Amino acid sequence: MTRAVIDPVTRIEGHLRVECEVTDGVVKDAWVSGQLYRGMETVMLDRQPEDAFYVTQRICGVCPISHSHASSMSTEAALGIAIPNNARLIRNLLEAAQFLHSHILWFYTLAALDYVSPINALSADIADTYALAQAAGTRVADFGAIAKRLTAFAENGQLSFLGGHYWDHPGYVLPPELDLIATAHYLEALEMQAVANEIVAVIGGKFPHPMTSVPGGTAFVPTEQKLDDILFNFIRVKEFIDTALIPDTLAIAPFILETTTYGGGCGNFLSWGVFEAADMDAYNRFLPRGFVTGGLKVEEVGPDDVTEYVEHSWYDSASGLNPSKGETHVKFDEYNTDAKYTYGKSARCKEKPAEVGPLARMVNAYVYEAGGKSLVPDEWAGSVRTPKALIDLTLEALGVAGKPEILVSLLGRVAARNLEAAYVADLALMWVGELVGGIQGGDSEFFKARETFDGAGSGLWEAPRGSVGHWIDIKGNKIKGYQVVAPTTWDIAPRDAAGVLGPMEQALVGAPVFDVERPLEMLRIAHSFDP
Amino acid sequence: MGSHAHYREAHPLVFVITHWINLICMVMLAFSGFYIHFPFFSAGFMGVARGMHFVAMYVILINLVFRIVAAFFVKTANQLETREVDTDIKNWLPQAENKHQLVETLKYYLFFRKEGVISGKYGSLQKIAYLATVPLTFIQAYTGFAIYAPFADASFLAAGTTLVGGPMNMRIIHYFGMWVFILFTMVHAYLANIYNFAPSKIIFLWKETLPEGKH
Amino acid sequence: MAHEGHNALHDLLAVRGVTRRDFLKYCGSIAAALGLSETMAPQIAAALEGAPKLLPTLWLNGGSCSGCTESIAQVDSPDVATIVLDYLSTNYFETIMAAAGEQAEKQLSDTIAAGGYLVIYEGSVMTGQDGNTLLVAGKKGTEILSEAAAGAAAVIAVGSCAVDGGWVYGYPNPAEATGVQAWLNHEGITTPVVNLPSCPVNPEWIVAMVVQLLLVAGGDVATFVEKTEWLTRSYTDRKYGAVDLLMPKGIFGQSIHDNCPRRGHFENGEFVTEFGSKEEAMGYCLYKMGCKGPQTFTNCPIVRWNRRTSWCVEAGSPCIGCGGLNWVDNNAPFFHRLSDMQMGDALGNVQPGTVGAVVGGVAAAALVAHGLGMKAAGRVGDGPPMEEMKAYDRKRLAKKGGDK
Repeated sequence: MTRAVIDPVTRIEGHLRVECEVTDGVVKDAWVSGQLYRGMETVMLDRQPEDAFYVTQRICGVCPISHSHASSMSTEAALGIAIPNNARLIRNLLEAAQFLHSHILWFYTLAALDYVSPINALSADIADTYALAQAAGTRVADFGAIAKRLTAFAENGQLSFLGGHYWDHPGYVLPPELDLIATAHYLEALEMQAVANEIVAVIGGKFPHPMTSVPGGTAFVPTEQKLDDILFNFIRVKEFIDTALIPDTLAIAPFILETTTYGGGCGNFLSWGVFEAADMDAYNRFLPRGFVTGGLKVEEVGPDDVTEYVEHSWYDSASGLNPSKGETHVKFDEYNTDAKYTYGKSARCKEKPAEVGPLARMVNAYVYEAGGKSLVPDEWAGSVRTPKALIDLTLEALGVAGKPEILVSLLGRVAARNLEAAYVADLALMWVGELVGGIQGGDSEFFKARETFDGAGSGLWEAPRGSVGHWIDIKGNKIKGYQVVAPTTWDIAPRDAAGVLGPMEQALVGAPVFDVERPLEMLRIAHSFDP
Repeated sequence: MGSHAHYREAHPLVFVITHWINLICMVMLAFSGFYIHFPFFSAGFMGVARGMHFVAMYVILINLVFRIVAAFFVKTANQLETREVDTDIKNWLPQAENKHQLVETLKYYLFFRKEGVISGKYGSLQKIAYLATVPLTFIQAYTGFAIYAPFADASFLAAGTTLVGGPMNMRIIHYFGMWVFILFTMVHAYLANIYNFAPSKIIFLWKETLPEGKH
Repeated sequence: MAHEGHNALHDLLAVRGVTRRDFLKYCGSIAAALGLSETMAPQIAAALEGAPKLLPTLWLNGGSCSGCTESIAQVDSPDVATIVLDYLSTNYFETIMAAAGEQAEKQLSDTIAAGGYLVIYEGSVMTGQDGNTLLVAGKKGTEILSEAAAGAAAVIAVGSCAVDGGWVYGYPNPAEATGVQAWLNHEGITTPVVNLPSCPVNPEWIVAMVVQLLLVAGGDVATFVEKTEWLTRSYTDRKYGAVDLLMPKGIFGQSIHDNCPRRGHFENGEFVTEFGSKEEAMGYCLYKMGCKGPQTFTNCPIVRWNRRTSWCVEAGSPCIGCGGLNWVDNNAPFFHRLSDMQMGDALGNVQPGTVGAVVGGVAAAALVAHGLGMKAAGRVGDGPPMEEMKAYDRKRLAKKGGDK
């Protein structure tokens, strides 16, 4: 029995510690600790509702758009504003750009180095690399030049940000040619995530922390030139997803199939839903709302189903509260896995731990489609690959057709994110079409002013990494209460009052650990949640 | 007071003119200032408002400096109801008649006493208020220049901006400074005219009001 | 030496497929970011080519949202900026580094032990709960900063959080966030700190500073400080008192308002009064929407964001002044011209205009009431009967009389 610890978990947003009890090479118990407390809620008190839109998105520099949308939606719910259709489409486009940015960045920049070794790529045979790329249907780069660049980099003796890693760990199983392809795409991904963010900049002024999805609609009024830029960049990103992200996933998966056997977690999948449909019904969003808890059963779910426990968190406020009545009184004592060990609160949905993120959304979408409903309007059905179609195709490609349950695993979580990117890229092109059509049809409404100054409401939405909820209470145009349940709160939740482990903790339990000094498997599982 | 005499010696023509300049500049400054603070109509006026604000401020500053210098050279009536003159500045600073009268003046205005109080050329409160407009004008000039981009970087101004915690706070001080002037003007106009309009006649029209029976 | 450097850079650029023309173009944009004329590009290129070897760098995340890391990831294609940044050997950079856990911490401690490195600090310095609001590998975030900064050649504080605590410092948050300079003053550490406020930091500013330090000043901090034009901005931290911040004048010397492409509409009095309106479509000025451009000093309108794609005002939002100090308290509510004043628990956050109107209204009412009183007291018209003798003199006389 040994304790294996990763602190800090790098290549994430924020500060995370993962500790596991390992017996005979298998994780028996796990503790996930959020190591930073900043306190957003109190800053918002007694300020005006729009201030919350601008400030609260700064909780997360990777998913500010989702926070800003959740914040604006909470204010709109509180003040009874229905945003215009143009604003709905523009927000969907902005959110889509962030999803694509985030998923590309996650797979290549944050997660790939758990599977891909740029050092091993040095021994690749260039001709074989071209052959492999062709066979895998993935995009070709000047592999010879990249190999040369890597060699130059390695030979200068300063490994920079690649230094100190477990490159000789036996978990790195890819052939050098595939390592070289993935490394080439790693470099290209840096470019593509920035292209996705140019879309954000066009609509929102800048990324991170865009400025225009203000409560009531959008401050962005598109011109023909700007719509052209948006469309052009979405096409570029979509092309990268189809020719690199998806084929790379499919090319790597066969080498790491054992990762389908662990890392599944709690099996409860929450999605608040994201990408608003024309009817503005959360259960009909393009990635619909729902709570899937066993097999293909889906339940309705709403803001009142959330409770937060702090028995194992460094707070001395009351436990088991709904965020609308939430309290946040921080009180650090010591890190103790038997008592309190994290700044993360234990968020529970209908009293159950809930995994959020792409896997949870894709499961919910899959169940939605499996129930015979269609996610995409008929006139666009031919140009959008839906979640079920993408999942079924992937299962077939991996030779496990008809076994979607295999996706409740580490590999499933990785694949779900990339498949979701493909779906969102298709949707984005559709929305650009709809927006252009609407504007040409004479719709020039982008914003609705509010008429009241009092109310309470919640905005439940999805960030690339999972479900995000903002709760606001407004009296006399001033914020009297504000609470945020961020995606990470769900996934890195500690034990609750009953001692039930959080989703990431449950995913870690049962995972093999080959070398407790270099717990690569734990790192992979932690990264798979994009915490 | 009241139907008491108001002679030209109290306000020689040169000070009638400086008073007019002050009044016009103040109105222009407050109006353009409010417009710059929040443009309450859209008619291409911002450039004009800013120009007006700057020009009026320069004028009022020059006027103030002139007024201060002139106070040392021009002679004005040294008491109410007299043609007897003395150097103007002496009549601004506390005079013998003002001594021990501040509290009594307050009591009078708060209706705690019936009789009017003996005063010099001006009452104690009046002198304090009038003299306070001098540093207040300089504060407005200072805060105004501190938030005016072409000057904001000058170390004399930048140091003040730092002291108050940044340009936003400087702006708020400048804004409140204007409210102080508005309050001053309200009280000033009220107290000057509450008994009758003879004070206005002399300061604006330079028309004397003679003592009763002496027409 | 310069010759050697030239070869090294030339090889590196060639290996990365960057042409000489791209490179010069890039140097031009650095010149702009530094507030220099673009004709300086060849000099900058010469300096770059004579650069010494990689300077080890630690990118430390404090109480951050990783937004500044995201921001630096948006630098330009064809990636030349990254190449220049590759001149830095980023031995520790939590968000992108391969290593994790102990191995990552070893990268950090080895670099500190070797000395002569640069620290780039992102996020606020978390001093709350006795410094326990940020823990990394069992150590307080504040300890890591002190240790790394003490031995560093220089610290670059990127983003508002690192400069003065950013939004985390916003009233009345009990998290007790502060800025790097305030913390180092408190610790008595005198390593020079370059401050780049804004939420997030504009990546081109970091590049400009790194180029200036590493290449134009030959990596020598004293030369760097001497050769760069600075301005000093000061503020008072609630916990640590007065703090002087060193900022590059080329970046923070001019107001957004003065460089704003919508400035002409401001002068013409053409304003947007509602989002998404036809005035917005015509690109009118956002002043009435509360734009903080007039009191915010950054070169955003010139450098813009995300590879010069756009910036806040161009997209239709008023500037919220995130490049200023203590930006939330000093600028919120963002849709109003003036910020709220924090008046404690009883009154809360209050607009100066409200205070002015209330005081003015009360004064007017008081004067009317007073006028009625004057009338009732019969003072209007001829005025009150005058006293024969000052009250003070009367009392004194009476006293004297009593003595007799």
